[in-house]
Amino acid sequence: MEITVKDKGGATVLTLSGRLDLASGTTLKEQVKSQLKKGNTMIHLNLAQVDFINSSGLGALVSIMKEVRLAKGRFTLSNLASYVEEIFEITQLSHIFEIFSTEEEAISSYHVASVR
Amino acid sequence: MAGTVTWTYPSVKESGDRFLDDLALFLEPLGLEQHQFHYLTLSLSEAFTNALVHGNKLDETKLVTVRLTVNDLEISADIIDQGRGGLEAVRTRPRPELLAESGRGVDFMERYCASVEFMEDADGGLTVRLRVPRRHEKKRVQ
Repeated sequence: MEITVKDKGGATVLTLSGRLDLASGTTLKEQVKSQLKKGNTMIHLNLAQVDFINSSGLGALVSIMKEVRLAKGRFTLSNLASYVEEIFEITQLSHIFEIFSTEEEAISSYHVASVR
Repeated sequence: MAGTVTWTYPSVKESGDRFLDDLALFLEPLGLEQHQFHYLTLSLSEAFTNALVHGNKLDETKLVTVRLTVNDLEISADIIDQGRGGLEAVRTRPRPELLAESGRGVDFMERYCASVEFMEDADGGLTVRLRVPRRHEKKRVQ
């Protein structure tokens, strides 16, 4: 899995591509932890290029969500492929995560939240 | 297409990706529908990860063996670890809580496979046998 990082609209956006599983989930958790240590607590993941996720990948996302909450930050997801979306639905994690259709919608929501 | 292949992997995290690469190449000529490919890949990935992490406890001296068989009717897979007590662990596993970071793998297998069997050798070592019909219909589960 490849991870690219950029700052956009007050959030740190991580764009993932490839599989999100045991090994890549560990890498992703480390990447987000390093962002949190820098004080970047608004974390968005763009999953458009993620073509596979398993329970280890889901576990990594749950772990990240907990870490971000502990840091009083915010964690959002966007661009889920239909297969990935189905996995979120059947595990009911779709009710737990903040999921947006597009990265732009997610970033706009950060802006709205900061204006309030 | 019909036949059997057997692969073995050391119990390191990176083997998960190697297995999925091998699996994708193996499944490609079967011409599975995309959703069937995803469900099968997910189910086998869950069994493989359980073998690595829970069975062999990421001990790289232990191997995970995968035996895949394809015929006109079904695809079946045996995923075999070299751990101990796996059968009891499966039988007594708790239902995962919503915010659990693990424990969903067997539920995925049971959802997407026609059958899931767990067998343990006298010497230890859990075999997970998954069967998926070539024309797969998703089971309704709660």
